[in-house]
Amino acid sequence: MASPQSLTERLNRGVTKRNARWSFVNAQPFGAALELRRFRLGNGLTVATLVDQAAPTVSYHTWFRVGSRHERPGKTGLAHLFEHLMFNETKSRGRGEFDRLMERAGAEVNAATWTDWTYYYENAPKNTLPLLIELEADRMSNLVLREPQVRSEKEVVANERKLRVEDDIEGRALEQLYATAFRRHPYRWPTIGWMKDIRGFTVDDCRRFYRTHYAPNNAIVIIAGDFNERQALSLIQARYGHLSSARQIDTKPRPKEPAQRSERVLRIAAPTPTDKVLIGYHAPPFSDPHTPALTVVNEVLLGGRSSRLYRLFCLDEELALSVRGAIAPFVDPGLFEIWISLREGKSQKDAVALLDREVARLAADGPTDIELAKAINQIELSFLHSMETAGGKAEQVGFYETVVDDGGTVFDRLDAYRRVTRAQVKRAAAKYLRRSRRTRVEISETAA
Amino acid sequence: MTRATSTKILVESSDVLPLIDVEIAFRVGSLQDPIGKEGLAHLTSQLMRRGPHGVSADAFEDQLANLGARLTVDTAMRSTRIRATTLRRNLEPLLELVADLVWRPALRALDFAKLKRHAQASLLARLDDDQTLGAIQLREKLFAGHPYGRSASGSADSLRRISLQDAKRFYARYLEKEPFIVGLSGDISDSDARSLVHDHFPRRTRKMNGKRDVPATHIRRGRHVVIVDKPKRTQTQLYISTLGARTHDRNLFPLIVSNTAFGGTFTGPLMQEVRAVRGWSYGAYSRLMHSDQRDAWYMWSAPSAEYSADCAALELELLERWVDKGVANASLKFAQHYLINSHCFDRDTPSKRLESRLDIELLGVPRRYVERHDELVAQVTRKQANDATRARISPKDLVMVVVATAKDVEKAFEKLPGVKSVEVVPYRRP
Repeated sequence: MASPQSLTERLNRGVTKRNARWSFVNAQPFGAALELRRFRLGNGLTVATLVDQAAPTVSYHTWFRVGSRHERPGKTGLAHLFEHLMFNETKSRGRGEFDRLMERAGAEVNAATWTDWTYYYENAPKNTLPLLIELEADRMSNLVLREPQVRSEKEVVANERKLRVEDDIEGRALEQLYATAFRRHPYRWPTIGWMKDIRGFTVDDCRRFYRTHYAPNNAIVIIAGDFNERQALSLIQARYGHLSSARQIDTKPRPKEPAQRSERVLRIAAPTPTDKVLIGYHAPPFSDPHTPALTVVNEVLLGGRSSRLYRLFCLDEELALSVRGAIAPFVDPGLFEIWISLREGKSQKDAVALLDREVARLAADGPTDIELAKAINQIELSFLHSMETAGGKAEQVGFYETVVDDGGTVFDRLDAYRRVTRAQVKRAAAKYLRRSRRTRVEISETAA
Repeated sequence: MTRATSTKILVESSDVLPLIDVEIAFRVGSLQDPIGKEGLAHLTSQLMRRGPHGVSADAFEDQLANLGARLTVDTAMRSTRIRATTLRRNLEPLLELVADLVWRPALRALDFAKLKRHAQASLLARLDDDQTLGAIQLREKLFAGHPYGRSASGSADSLRRISLQDAKRFYARYLEKEPFIVGLSGDISDSDARSLVHDHFPRRTRKMNGKRDVPATHIRRGRHVVIVDKPKRTQTQLYISTLGARTHDRNLFPLIVSNTAFGGTFTGPLMQEVRAVRGWSYGAYSRLMHSDQRDAWYMWSAPSAEYSADCAALELELLERWVDKGVANASLKFAQHYLINSHCFDRDTPSKRLESRLDIELLGVPRRYVERHDELVAQVTRKQANDATRARISPKDLVMVVVATAKDVEKAFEKLPGVKSVEVVPYRRP
């Protein structure tokens, strides 16, 4: 591959419009064998390239720094609605044409929205890259937003909400957990939005949202897989170079969540044969230096069949069928979530008492050397698994670009996990897994 | 048939990541469950999963985790697969552990008792998942009385009847005696992989049982509705199904292409009419399954309770139109392009390539289906596709399963055209 400096020089030859001129940002090793290079167009569009010829495929991701945290009360779910609307007609492509062209080319196409970001992706045969670039550039600026499309997608999203939240026990519990644990920060509303808000969106709401957030200087494109970098950058220059930046990107900090000083408990009734408990402890943001240690806490307590809580809850005491945990990977402080699905007739009170006992033990003594090594090995395995395909690599880069502002730090994170000590794990458990910092949702057939 | 055989080895090498997948695959599955003891194959393989002789279940889990390894055992109708993933540097100790598990599983009474309680609890937990509830009920009703209709996890009653002796006998008869295949994929060369497998799975004369015949499946005449009654549903899970295809059907590829054109893509008529035009369901698709005997063909969607029956009526109309009029030439070409171009994602990782090869060896999938996939798809003509659809898909003979609050939908479903019976079953069976 040509050096990035000479590549941008060549691409900029004869290009006078500032928006279409490339600058090279940086290059970083990506694992042992690959290199991640970052470029930027004059209009602010960042492009990360990761050439990897392991399979004849290419993955094209477009990440926007907009998620449900950028919404306001009364208009929740707009970022997610956009994930749907973006597949509709543009000024140059009729309704359904985007999907038809993509499917005909054999591309896997989808999108996702969460609190801090929205992304669109295509995993496709390698020769389709020009088509991917053309269609993605088109919908970044030419989307047509009219009443019939907005009405139909609102109905689809309302149905999705019923599927994933209203008729889904875990979905409902999660929504309630965040609504109870957060009182000021936008993480208190669900990414899919409240049903009343979904029903109430207007075409004007959508147009305003599109103008504000869908702009090259609020996006990053990641290309991973088997492709020619020069050709790709040249095509991007031609397709995106005429787009203007948005004047104001919403980067203002969100209201800080006041410290939680006592446990909050909520009970939900649902048609289920067994009780469940969902617990959320306030946790640091993904970029916080304590998060790797807290991730190891999660692994020691809840990471697979040899973890402390799985063994106790599911095997020794036979209190639960499953237990699992996760730390919300958010820009701002989120929650460390623990889900316990109890066996028939087992009590939520006993489950919480057992959890408290084990958390206290970890906070007092920390993990053993063997537990620490085991946890780090397991985290490494999951990490490497997520990198198996071109799509997996692109997703990791997009996530790190959006949440930590640097896609090149993906492998630094793996090093950070490897450096976690027993003392750090102990401290993280003691600091974050305090009863007063948590919210508990109890689910049963007849909530008391 | 009895003959001497040795362990078959399949290798897919790739040095992209320092990871290796190991798979031990047996041609044994839930079809071997005795009547009344459904779930035996599943329980036996899960009991093996608890570890080899001389190592407690806890110690076995610790050893796996120390290696940065994950181990799962899956039982399907026709196969049992032990799958392990590990970091490259830990492959040898992992192979040792897995070999020990295969050759000398402990099959302990204490583990068995816990496992049975766990299996019973899992059946109960399944009641929380409406989509799974619908899918299980669908197979049970579509294949009424046939082995294809039985759940690999069994039922509360069948699990109760299974003893430790049953599991030990099952292991001795099917897993200990039958030949198996060892597959390795990932960061290892072909020669290294073969040498390691020979060390841990030495040649051994084994008996191979003859081909196990499964009786033919029979279509249930007429349209039948089954409502799985669950309280407080705002939305429904809707399945509409009939018999599909056999793996060795001459018209399998024409049917695959035709089904792809109808309900296999986002832009096909099923998804477009249900989701894009009406917004009735988050998704709508059709799936063609094939096996030794005719397996299921079905449509799935998840409409709101208020228009669930309207959605079913629309899907019936679309189905009739598809079978009656067939797919247009443009739709056929589109489906062919889609299937050929997206085929690269069936083989973009070493583990996926290994799975395809295992399907050939284990499930009797003809080798040409994998090796000449694109050619077989491209050769399908419009006439072949439409003839295959008419020959195999019967819109008159359907089982429709809807997971819903019965009182909200029962009357509307009774009125659907051609419905012969409506049965309401509680989501929690007594």
